Amino acid sequence: MNFRTLTNGVALATLGMGFVPGIAAAETFSLWVRSDGSEFMPPLVEAFNAAGAHQVNLQIVPVDELVQRYAIASAGGSAPDALSLDLIYTPAFAEAGQLRDLTDFAQSLPYFNELSPAHLSVGTVGDQIYGVPFSGDASFLLWNKDLYEQAGLDPEKGPETWAEIREHAEAVSALGAETYGFYFSGNCGGCNIFTFAPLIWATDGDLLADNGRTATLDSDEVVAAIAFYRGMANDNLVPAGAQTDSGSNFFAAFANGNIGISPSGSFAIGALNNNYPDLNYGVTFLPGQESGQFSSFAGGDNFVISARTDDSKIPAIEAFIEFAYSLEGQKILVANGAVPVRGDLAGQVFEGLDERYLVSAEAMANGRTPYSTVFNDIINSRNGPWITTLNRAFFAQSEEEMMQAVADGQAEMQAIIDAAP
Amino acid sequence: MSNTVPDPSPDAPPTPRAPRRTDWQGLVYVLPALGLVAVFFLVPLGMTMWMSLHDWPLLGNPRWIGTANYTRLWGDTSFWNAMRFTVIYTIVATIGLMGVAMALALMVQSEGRAITMYRTAYFLPVVTGFASASLLWAWLANVDAGLFSPLVQMLGITEGRVNLLARFDLAFWSVTIMVVWKMAGFYMVILMSGLQSIPSDYQEAARIDGASWFQRFRWITMPLVRQPFALALILCVSGSMLAFDQFYIILNGGPRNQTITAVYKIFNESFVSFRLGYGSALSVVLLIILMVLSAIQLWLLRDKGDK
Repeated sequence: MNFRTLTNGVALATLGMGFVPGIAAAETFSLWVRSDGSEFMPPLVEAFNAAGAHQVNLQIVPVDELVQRYAIASAGGSAPDALSLDLIYTPAFAEAGQLRDLTDFAQSLPYFNELSPAHLSVGTVGDQIYGVPFSGDASFLLWNKDLYEQAGLDPEKGPETWAEIREHAEAVSALGAETYGFYFSGNCGGCNIFTFAPLIWATDGDLLADNGRTATLDSDEVVAAIAFYRGMANDNLVPAGAQTDSGSNFFAAFANGNIGISPSGSFAIGALNNNYPDLNYGVTFLPGQESGQFSSFAGGDNFVISARTDDSKIPAIEAFIEFAYSLEGQKILVANGAVPVRGDLAGQVFEGLDERYLVSAEAMANGRTPYSTVFNDIINSRNGPWITTLNRAFFAQSEEEMMQAVADGQAEMQAIIDAAP
Repeated sequence: MSNTVPDPSPDAPPTPRAPRRTDWQGLVYVLPALGLVAVFFLVPLGMTMWMSLHDWPLLGNPRWIGTANYTRLWGDTSFWNAMRFTVIYTIVATIGLMGVAMALALMVQSEGRAITMYRTAYFLPVVTGFASASLLWAWLANVDAGLFSPLVQMLGITEGRVNLLARFDLAFWSVTIMVVWKMAGFYMVILMSGLQSIPSDYQEAARIDGASWFQRFRWITMPLVRQPFALALILCVSGSMLAFDQFYIILNGGPRNQTITAVYKIFNESFVSFRLGYGSALSVVLLIILMVLSAIQLWLLRDKGDK
């Protein structure tokens, strides 16, 4: 029968396309990125699509809605093929069986050992790699050089210890009623894991131990860092609004020009240079108590592939990842505010760029990422134990009240961890 | 002959020839409405109950656990704390709203050109969304950028700045006042419709008999607006019991998680902790509490004269 011959032929041809190597057809795959990546992802996708081998269909999702939207799409069978995922969510997604095992692909990359270890540490569950490093986001301190000059400080030298932060903040605060030495978002869990936790790590402390199974909020290092912030808040070196800022002023407070020092992240360099070209600022590490100690949150995105993504799309997705890892890809990422995740190219990608980017890269290299399957619950939640404890303790009226807040927070955090499967 | 002509007297029974509608015809007429109720109320309700019997993570596969969510809920102090806060807020907000709404309705019930302007002005905040009103309030109350703090300083009430949102009592009252500002106009309209349906003769007769303003309000106005008042009260109580936006946007549940309402807790369980099954169980319990509350109100405010 002619008809049967025809259908058999089509079937064979289709099979052939899939199995014969070298005849990989151009594929289009869907990719989601959280809105924090809206600066670096579109130019990267544009460059990749322009090369023409495969096409990416990019969708930018508001950062607060990404997990919910992904879950709904996944339940409805319309999850994106790939996702640039806030790295701290990799364990939760992987353990829920949502992600494809990328171990073989990742280890086949010749520069595998040069990829950001912090990203890989949360991208690995058991022995399997479910997320590969994609974009980096480091945390550091910003200082306002003009205010430093007015306060009689050396405008070219940022603070290198907690004591220096305090000293410089006092000098800048003394300039006038509307000028403050220091700023932080006192009611934002995400902001404080990004910029406050590194103060603890820099002094060799931690908030989680045993691979995320034990909370250590009541350790000496954490209490010391809290007392340091509380002292500055108590002495009015910080604007009163910090107490209730749930993150909306995280960046804007410093950008307004009346704050001496503010912890921030690598994204601030691009945003300040583009939107506040007159602001004269410096960038330095988030220090420890003693000189020479510093740390950073190693944030950013891991690249993951949905568990149910069709095999036919994998070559295209892998080609995109390799493009992002190429010198060209890394340069696009860096020029648009992301810290590169390939250590061996760091020297080349920063050529011709603002030298403040180098600080973010070095901070990142010494950065940490907490591992927890309940990260959202304990850290990111607006009502979770992390920010509730910090808010109560930072603005406590007495030392006893501060210690009570810490004890309550420790108990609550441990209870949530214990209740998790 | 006379049989074919309908009896003109209004008390006469319908003529035997008038077409009689059967029960199934009536059903056909309400079918579209029933369909809407089924699709948009009964099905989601059934699904919520079904989910509440599962361990249902936002990501991953659901697992049947029977009534475990409900037993857990019984011992969940954070839910009962949220419930207690919601009830306190509902009582305060309802007293404030009904009082202000009744006062406004009494003020604008007469006719006149200026009155129309007042009615519009009082109703205007109602058309603002809760989210926009909350954002506006959050900004006004911001200690560094807002208007309230400099205002109280200017008036000499305090020396230093006042962070309204950092203290529980101030935060609670500022949100409640915002809700009264935003919603009183809505209940005013409902009560106004009741006030206007009272024949003016009653009030005039009472006035001639020498009744004071309060006596007329107590013995004529209140009994005759009972039904619109009951409607407004039930809407107000159920609306307040479901409060979420204002506490989420203005206060983030703070200070110190003291302003987390029942719906806020459900939101946190479902979309922050990703426990949809447990969130569903909490929703079912909240629904039952609301049904009981509404039934009590309906019973208390039932129109005894009709029975």
